[in-house]
Amino acid sequence: MEAAGAREETWDQLSLSEVEYRRAGARYRRRRSVRGYLFILPYFVPFLAFLFIPAFWSIWLSFNQGGILDEARFVGFDNWRTISEESELTQSIRNTAVYAVEAIFLVFVLALFLALLLNRYRKGSNVFKLALYVPLLAPAVLVGLIWQFLTNFDFGLVNLALDALGFDRLNILGSGTLALLTIVLAEVWRGLGFWTLYFLASLQSIPDELNDAARVDGARGFLRFRRITLPLLKPMLLFAVVIAIIANFQVFDTVYVLTQGGPVESTSTLVWYVWKRLFQFQETGQGYAAAVLLLLIVLVLTAVSFWFLSERRTRKA
Amino acid sequence: MHEHTPSVEGPEPSTHAAEYAAAAKRHRLLGIVKGVLAYAILALFAVIAIGPFLYLLSPSFRQSYELFSYPPDWIPNSLYWDNFKTVLNDTSYLRWGVNTLIFATAVTLITLVIDTMAGYAFARLRFPGRTLLFALVLSTLMIPTAVLIAPLYIMMSNLPDWTHSGVNTFPAMILPMVVSPLGVFMMRQFISTLPEGLVEAARLDGAGEWLIFRRIVLPLMKPAIVVLGIFTFMFQWVNFLWPLVITTTDDMKTLTVGIASLQGQFVTNWGVISAAAVLTMLPVVVIFLVFQKWFVQASMAGALKQ
Repeated sequence: MEAAGAREETWDQLSLSEVEYRRAGARYRRRRSVRGYLFILPYFVPFLAFLFIPAFWSIWLSFNQGGILDEARFVGFDNWRTISEESELTQSIRNTAVYAVEAIFLVFVLALFLALLLNRYRKGSNVFKLALYVPLLAPAVLVGLIWQFLTNFDFGLVNLALDALGFDRLNILGSGTLALLTIVLAEVWRGLGFWTLYFLASLQSIPDELNDAARVDGARGFLRFRRITLPLLKPMLLFAVVIAIIANFQVFDTVYVLTQGGPVESTSTLVWYVWKRLFQFQETGQGYAAAVLLLLIVLVLTAVSFWFLSERRTRKA
Repeated sequence: MHEHTPSVEGPEPSTHAAEYAAAAKRHRLLGIVKGVLAYAILALFAVIAIGPFLYLLSPSFRQSYELFSYPPDWIPNSLYWDNFKTVLNDTSYLRWGVNTLIFATAVTLITLVIDTMAGYAFARLRFPGRTLLFALVLSTLMIPTAVLIAPLYIMMSNLPDWTHSGVNTFPAMILPMVVSPLGVFMMRQFISTLPEGLVEAARLDGAGEWLIFRRIVLPLMKPAIVVLGIFTFMFQWVNFLWPLVITTTDDMKTLTVGIASLQGQFVTNWGVISAAAVLTMLPVVVIFLVFQKWFVQASMAGALKQ
């Protein structure tokens, strides 16, 4: 309001002609644009150099071999043909998918459940929030170590418990299915705090009145959750799913420290495959191609989850 | 716990007073049982979250062979400090710690500067192509790091010597990690929520954009900057893949990479490895305790900004 008043005053005492004003305006806008570019420049230089260009470069690389220790040379579709015939890659994709589905499902259900509890029982909830957060600060090596300790054949807690209960001890990291499950559990353990706090924040953005009204109308707990809370959480759930897919398809640290992809290839994930090809086996071409494949998979999954969740949201509304 | 009670009161309490009282009592009792159950579940998960760290303390103070004693004794009879001595004397542990600190701090500082500036420009400055450039930034959100490591590694290994930023140097370790589309997005969202009038008023008073940014926008952005700073620092503190790829000598490793390499060296010496892990957790716990208020707020705010 004040600004408008001030402008009126200035308009009363125009000293420049209309053309001059227009020119001054254009000059101002040009200067403003230049400032805008200057402000984004410090971000855009590293953005282009370290993210945008390398992303396209990686696509080009997938048609090449070598480059890390020697000169890269163009090989056409050779890499793609090789990896399409390789069972290890198929296995890695399957492992990554199984891992991601299990981990995302488990961590979301648990986190949503804990968030609902924390949202309802707020007295002293800060202690629980802090406690749940701690695993997030642990480097992957530590997570790996903890789970190695838990699952160790001789002194791991799980095996001591099995022993005490009269069951046979299990060689957990030595068995394919159990090893992959261990990685799932380790990552769920690590991510639970983050997602709990994320869902808690989302829940707290839902006004209490809606739930109260439904309660007065006699809607029971689960019905209220399904018909009120869940639909209202949809947009935040969409974002969570997208972020979780992007993050979980890149699982690597835990694999590196816990199983090194083994036993055989039963915990080999996509990023593990890429890393091994690039920096252990020097089969760079296959590593390049698999990396681009990972990019494609993540892009498709992101698009699908956007489409799926937003579609259902509009239908409900 | 008592949220349920008011809704039980019916329209005509006088007629069936006794019945209502009984129902209310039943309801209250159910509420208490539910509450106890809820806190028990929360406590259980809190123990699951923290317990494993305490579980590591015990072996770090014992000789490795003691681990295999059966039945297990959780509390060591005497504290065995040699594991810690081994970690500090026989490994480059302190050097790794310093490296990690340099790496995480540098990435965080650079990220904060460039992300707030870009976020401000995307939220408040008008220039041709603004929407398009912002969309470009956002679309890179889903590019996995694993896709970038090969091109980045090749890029770094081909840099001329005079740049001093080839493989196994700090610039090569730090610079590629400063680009975070999520950070720019967060900053832009936050600045959009600030009242535009302040900036307009300053502009009318003849303040330049840089002055407006430094004197008006930056102070208002303190909460967002703290949140982004904590997130970036934490994320880089535990970053594994890029430091693993770009470091080739022991004295350039970060803590995560260094300790992972210990697992090969001391393959059966669980005591030493746990001691190293406990030492790694220490600074994190200190940071966590100092900033605990911010940590919880950070993750909450991060979600609310969607």
